[in-house]
Amino acid sequence: MKRTLLLILVLVMITLAAGCGPQVTGTQPTTTPAQKGASSDDTAPADAAPEPITFTMYNVETDAYPDTDFSSPVAQEIKKATGVTLEIENAVSSDAGKQKLSLMAASGDYPDFVYGKGDLSILKNVNAIIKLDDLIEQYGPNIKKFYGEIDIKRLRWSLDDPSIYYVGGKEVGQENMEPNAGFQLQLGAVKALGYPRLRTLQDFENAIRTFYEQNPTLYGQKSIPLSLLADDWRFMITVSNPANFATGNSDDGEWYIDIETLDAVRHLTRDEVKEYFRWLNGMHDKGLLDPESFVQKYDQYKAKIASGRVIALADARWEIDEAVTALKKDEKYEAVYGYFPITIDESVKFADFQSAGYLGGWGMAITTNCKDVVRAIKFIDWMCTEEAQILTHWGVKDLHYTIENGKRVLKPEVKEMRNSDPAWQQKTGIKKYCYPFPTYGNAVKDSTGQYFEAFDTLEEIAARQLPIENEVLSHYGVNTWKELYPQADEFPVKPYGAAWLVNIEDPEWKAADDRILKTGYRMIPAIVMGDPSEFDAKWAEYQQALKDAGLDMVTEQFNKVLKERTKLWQ
Amino acid sequence: MQPVNKIAQRNQKYIFSKKNIKRLNQQKYLLLMSLPFVIWVIIFKYIPLWGWTMAFQQYIPGKGFFQQEWVGLKYFIIMFQDNYFYLVLRNTLAMSILSLIFGFTLPIVLAILLNEITKQTFKRMVQTISYLPHFVSWVIVASLFNKMLSIDDGVVNNILMALRIVEQPVQFMAKPNFFWGIVTFADVWKEIGWNSIIFLAAIAGISPELYESAMVDGAGRFKKIWHITLPGILPTVMVILIMSIGNLINIGFEKQFLMRNSLVRDYSDVLDLYILDYGISAGRWAFGTAAGMFKSLVSIILVFTANGISRKVAGIGIITK
Repeated sequence: MKRTLLLILVLVMITLAAGCGPQVTGTQPTTTPAQKGASSDDTAPADAAPEPITFTMYNVETDAYPDTDFSSPVAQEIKKATGVTLEIENAVSSDAGKQKLSLMAASGDYPDFVYGKGDLSILKNVNAIIKLDDLIEQYGPNIKKFYGEIDIKRLRWSLDDPSIYYVGGKEVGQENMEPNAGFQLQLGAVKALGYPRLRTLQDFENAIRTFYEQNPTLYGQKSIPLSLLADDWRFMITVSNPANFATGNSDDGEWYIDIETLDAVRHLTRDEVKEYFRWLNGMHDKGLLDPESFVQKYDQYKAKIASGRVIALADARWEIDEAVTALKKDEKYEAVYGYFPITIDESVKFADFQSAGYLGGWGMAITTNCKDVVRAIKFIDWMCTEEAQILTHWGVKDLHYTIENGKRVLKPEVKEMRNSDPAWQQKTGIKKYCYPFPTYGNAVKDSTGQYFEAFDTLEEIAARQLPIENEVLSHYGVNTWKELYPQADEFPVKPYGAAWLVNIEDPEWKAADDRILKTGYRMIPAIVMGDPSEFDAKWAEYQQALKDAGLDMVTEQFNKVLKERTKLWQ
Repeated sequence: MQPVNKIAQRNQKYIFSKKNIKRLNQQKYLLLMSLPFVIWVIIFKYIPLWGWTMAFQQYIPGKGFFQQEWVGLKYFIIMFQDNYFYLVLRNTLAMSILSLIFGFTLPIVLAILLNEITKQTFKRMVQTISYLPHFVSWVIVASLFNKMLSIDDGVVNNILMALRIVEQPVQFMAKPNFFWGIVTFADVWKEIGWNSIIFLAAIAGISPELYESAMVDGAGRFKKIWHITLPGILPTVMVILIMSIGNLINIGFEKQFLMRNSLVRDYSDVLDLYILDYGISAGRWAFGTAAGMFKSLVSIILVFTANGISRKVAGIGIITK
């Protein structure tokens, strides 16, 4: 008996040890019967209220504050106008979306709408999403108006299949109102150094060195000159991207694309980028780089920044936002960062504001399981109307904004809520139904000449600036950080959108691409922290490793897809 | 050939003998009770083995089984030609052997030491404190170790500096050759108490009479441990050892994933991370399955080898003929 028991135990162990195929877990989105119509105290609009219908939707974006039951005021207005109740299921983590889509494809159990970002092809491959061209032609006058003749081409799938399968995704007419990338220096340092010219890496280095020597401690702790972060994929944001930006490229992920010829190369193979890393290597050698740069985790990094002792950074705005909010809360205003368009030399322009146009590439699709395709496309069409765009951006009239002298004005409590309550979108519904639905960006005006954007207009941003920010900016002769940067009109619009949205489905390509990326994760830290005399040899070794990882194949295939995409969009 | 046939014949007779059927009847409730678990094992452990067929296909999710393109051993060949595969295999084996050496012997030592403590309250206290870390998530353990080993006011460096053992703070997490050691240490710290529980239970099962008679024979503490406690828990030790060896290659990836950084990647990436990165994340389902099959195969070989050796050397095995 004992032996049999043990035998069973062992069998269990062995099978446990066996890596089995993907296990089917998780629940499929359920479709509940259409909920009851509008409540009785609703006065029916002039034309009879549309029949209520419930659409299910899967969104690969995670959402910490979901608008459960479609119950926010904005959602209720949408329902009143269209009869549609949305039941949205979000991905549980950033990489769970793809698995969920694979599962859907395998099981044939799709919701009505799917927003799948770059992985929508999983459903396309099994013919789970429907062509929208004819539907848009017949039922979508507002959709056509919304995108216009140029942008609607950016919705096409591919050269082989130039139909439209999705709409929405990124904003139409988006313009950055503040720099998203750049090199950051504490405002206190800028002030103490007498507002120096900060244009090249050399200027930046001098500023860091001088301030670091003058201030060995900040807020009672040892000061840190320049800190980087290489915690897994964040390597791309803080180590790799700044090199691309400092050499004059806008955000094209790991690629450098020649805007004339549209030839793409991995930016980490370029000689200019090598010089950027030579500079970093020098910074490390001179003791001006945080020795923990390549070791620290994101939470350690944030904690350091929030303590106010990191003098300079080379990061993206969204990655340091949380730490900067903490600085402001602690009233450490001198430790808040200014953004500077620093490049390797004077001839190179920092291209953060270069426009990519409507990004296309991603959007929400209607599946073959959709219970009422016509209602679905009509719903999207309604979302493209001016009425809907004002509703989703500004909220409900009189509840969230009032009209004064013909202009929309947000109520102060809504503004306050936005700044203090992380669940404000959930509670009000404002901005909850913008992305990934068709949505206007902050550079688009409505028929009365007002911006659709309610919060992040240039005036709003200028009004939110700290006194010390205004002081620093005034010494540079500008009012906002944006004005410090080369403006969008100094660059051509990128005809391919953004390279990081170029999606290549071939798994072998993805694996090789990942290998190339990780070769950087592994080797660049050692190069930066190595002896400057060995820099050239180590860099050559790195370039060889990239080739061994399949650089030529990856570059060749990427170029092919990029050129096809540009052609498709013209 | 003939004797074998005879034995088989005899066995067959034996299986359907009246005695056996009667016994089955007697145990029917027990059998019924175990039935759900047998079904569970079949559904969750055997049926998914069908998924192994993916390893030989150009697998595309959503297509039917017969629409997939068969590619034979293509993905196994890709895997065995990949230099990086051998690197992660080295790291996996190195870390799991280290954790087998320390993570297996130290709990036995702890259990024996605890058993020698006569003061019950103190014994309970030590036991509780030592197994509490088991319940702490790896996410937290990794953060703790990162912070403690940091050069930026990390407690370990502060102590080393105060004792003047080192002049400059040591950046432990940046040294590739420290990584295996740090992971093993963290693992032992986290699991030592928990893993000692089963040995404590085995020790408790040894008859006190044995100790008493040994005492009469004039055996001291160490003699008692050597001649009674250790042989007493040997069967348990062997069973757990064999199963641990079978799991050598399955070390998971949480600790490595959470504790690694860019500087130590050559020593931190393990097989499961490799499967995750180049199988599932890249959408190479077939490749991931092939690597998973390789792991299972190694596990089975290891279990049988360990079992065979143990049976020869100690006469104890978990799989009998």
